[in-house]
Amino acid sequence: MIQYNCDPPPKVAEGYLERREQEGYMKLRIKMIKTDVIIIGGGATGTGVARDLALRGIDHCLLEKKDFAAGATGACHGLLHSGGRYAVNDPEAARECISENQILRKIGKKCVEFTEGLFVRLPGDTLEYRDDFLESCHRTGISTEIFSASKALGLVPNLNPALEEAVKVPDCSIDPFRLCMLNAESSSLRGGKILTHHKVIEVIKERGNCVGVKAQEQFSGEIIEIRGKVIINASGAWGSIVAKMSGSDVPMNLSKGSLIIANHRLTSMVINRLRPASNGDIIVPNETVSLAGTTSIHVNDPENLSISPEEIGLITSEASQMVPEFDSVRLIRSYTGVRPLLKGDSHSDDDRAISRGFRIIDHKNGMFSIMGGKLTTYRLMAEKMTDRIMEHFGINVPCTTAEKPLEGQNQLSGYPVSNRIEKLDDIICECELVTRKDVEKVIDSVGTKYIGDIQHRTRLGMGPCQGGFCTYRALGMMQEKGKVTSGESIRVLREFLDRRYRGIRPVLWGDQMREEQLVEGIYLGILGLADK
Amino acid sequence: MKYDVVIIGGGMTGLISSIYLSSKGLKTAVVSKGDPVCSISSGCIDVAGDFQGIPDDHPYTMAGREKVRSALMYFKEIMKDAGLPYWGEVFENRSIYTPIAKKRETCLVPFSMKNADGAKGKSLHIISFQGMKDFFPGYFKEDTSDFNCSLFDAGTLTTVGIATKFDDPAFREQFILWLKECRIQEEFIGIPAVLGTKNPQKLIDQIELVTGCKVFEIPTLPPSMPGLRLFRKLKSYSSLQGVDFFWGHGISEITEEENLVTSLIIDQPGRPTIIEGRSFILTTGSFVSGGLFAEKESIRETVFNLPVSIPPGKPRLNDSFFDTEQPLGRAGIRVSSHYQPVDSPWKNIFVAGSILENSQIMKYHCGHGLAIVTGLDAAENCEEYLK
Repeated sequence: MIQYNCDPPPKVAEGYLERREQEGYMKLRIKMIKTDVIIIGGGATGTGVARDLALRGIDHCLLEKKDFAAGATGACHGLLHSGGRYAVNDPEAARECISENQILRKIGKKCVEFTEGLFVRLPGDTLEYRDDFLESCHRTGISTEIFSASKALGLVPNLNPALEEAVKVPDCSIDPFRLCMLNAESSSLRGGKILTHHKVIEVIKERGNCVGVKAQEQFSGEIIEIRGKVIINASGAWGSIVAKMSGSDVPMNLSKGSLIIANHRLTSMVINRLRPASNGDIIVPNETVSLAGTTSIHVNDPENLSISPEEIGLITSEASQMVPEFDSVRLIRSYTGVRPLLKGDSHSDDDRAISRGFRIIDHKNGMFSIMGGKLTTYRLMAEKMTDRIMEHFGINVPCTTAEKPLEGQNQLSGYPVSNRIEKLDDIICECELVTRKDVEKVIDSVGTKYIGDIQHRTRLGMGPCQGGFCTYRALGMMQEKGKVTSGESIRVLREFLDRRYRGIRPVLWGDQMREEQLVEGIYLGILGLADK
Repeated sequence: MKYDVVIIGGGMTGLISSIYLSSKGLKTAVVSKGDPVCSISSGCIDVAGDFQGIPDDHPYTMAGREKVRSALMYFKEIMKDAGLPYWGEVFENRSIYTPIAKKRETCLVPFSMKNADGAKGKSLHIISFQGMKDFFPGYFKEDTSDFNCSLFDAGTLTTVGIATKFDDPAFREQFILWLKECRIQEEFIGIPAVLGTKNPQKLIDQIELVTGCKVFEIPTLPPSMPGLRLFRKLKSYSSLQGVDFFWGHGISEITEEENLVTSLIIDQPGRPTIIEGRSFILTTGSFVSGGLFAEKESIRETVFNLPVSIPPGKPRLNDSFFDTEQPLGRAGIRVSSHYQPVDSPWKNIFVAGSILENSQIMKYHCGHGLAIVTGLDAAENCEEYLK
């Protein structure tokens, strides 16, 4: 759940192109791929569409400029909503949520942890809202159960002992990265082309119609051309940038939300505040850690985001009202993402009031944009999008994504996390119990040149030391496998450390500061990376 | 138990202080919560090169150039005496290889790393171990045009595991036999620092004999053997000098009379121990070793709650990880020229090592050097005080 959406684009390795030229690579003509549907964006929506198209037998190619879940998908709470959060204000969204919640629990057992959730009512939170909440949940089909304070404390001992009561809902914790990976797996198995680290640099148009795109491989700089009949713009916060390439416009409101990660699983259930949606009112357990957030701040640029100390202060103080330990626990990282909200759905100034509903826009030039929505309803969005494409092609094959389990789950350890302890040998990442075999498998299968690819697929470097020890090891292994040269791996290491520091710096105090000085000692001292 | 000097912190600074003071006939104790940072360090003594650019407010300036020289000579003598000799000249740097094949400047090195200095541009053979998780020979490939590598199967994967195997004569023999078979042609051999948990000098001599190559160890990521060897030697040397150790527990309380600290209570579960002292030296290090603790807004000294100085009006941390001039690196205890904390109510407290204000270890590459120099200097000041 570590976020990379604030990264600068990876630079082309120095001398790489020259070397390739000497090796004769550049004499080849630009690589060309022909397909029916081009999907831009490797988040939940994009990979969801890829899976749906694959199951309906439509040839497609997905392009993602980084790795899967690099935008809002990976920068969220990792919460599979029960719908409770929306029940009062947006019953339609709530209905969609509970229906998708039930589907994903069924088809994605190894990326959805059925933690259940509590809406806790603290002193000062009104009974009116509680009654409204219960009634709305009932109306929208979300099951609820009222717990006394002592019963709630029995389930989650870290809760604020002053709570009045709690309402149980079927909230779950979901691993967005694995979700995308599994969706992509269904596509790959049926011949879909999934190209991560390929950035779309141009939309090719002929006689006013989109007929393809040019994409650049981000490590080598190599450009490929993909020709297709339809382009689906599923690039989330980058939606209007991509739409502009085709000469269209998507009016969007970008709303930044920041989160913090604590180094413990402080709660085994999702915790919400039983009051109208506000900042920092959700805590989600995720494997060995807990996430808390979020904020809502309007931004103009989906990249170059920063997190202010005020945001961190706000989230910690709100989260610690529900789970007091959040105030003193060791925070291992902060991250931020951008909600791609559609403009014009609300006149309110608060971005949170804009509907999280989604919309499909036909630009009438061969490009469709699918915008808005939320992680919980990604499958439904993909279904509607694919229905539209089928209609466009005049083919009638029904959607089956809600019935077929996600493929590739047999590779995952699933829940509880302790499953991973069964195969302990040759541990490369001690925090998250990742073995050498796990890492080698990713390097072999993905052919990665990026440390992030390994992190996302194995959870390497996501624990308390945040990759302080294991990143050096993983890069060494990438060298052994011939994926990177030693010069490249040092460059990747430096980029990683820089990114890591940007995530950690806003929460650097207490024990995390001790850890940080150790990491500084290792990389700047023992390895000598500070020396130019 | 009553001591002339109680040293709080069992790292380089505290151990050097303890060795000096006990050699002067003073009854000395060292209290340490756990093993220090020096036990996971590269084992090299970074001093700061030629001292160009050391500012006036740095602890080195307070000690003076002559004190730096004599303290480091003192350290070299101790290590020679202890059986882990160090090489290098006080105001000259030499280079070592880091685990990513970068050349890094340092001042004094253990015997096992002395040959690294001459290896630049020469043919190099790296010997590593199958599946070893903290060393990757590939990093050396680009640095050296004339490069080869051999892997020995040690049957284990961690630094400490392999080093422990090297303590066994039968394993060493097996390794030497294998090495002969390798028929190494290069001029130098680099090996990750796993050649035993104790001084590997004899083994290195033997390797040089059978291969005809010049051999050096390369420090690894923590846990790093050269650091562990250094720490263990210093601690046992200090213990042999008659220093008492109270290891593994923090300090729960201090007692005072007028302007003197009179005793510490060690937080041993079930039986708190009272340690009385005529004087105290605080050598608990900075954040990583727990001498300083960063609260969200302020910084706290963890034993005596002494006032901590930080550069005013700046954010604590700069924007880049690679920036070695972090304002936080200056945070620490401000002391008088006698190493006594200013604005402290007590007269019998001395402070030394990286907990001192403006030490900026990352910027000046002066970690162990600073520890040795200020550790010895503070000890001498404490000795003077006790007279």
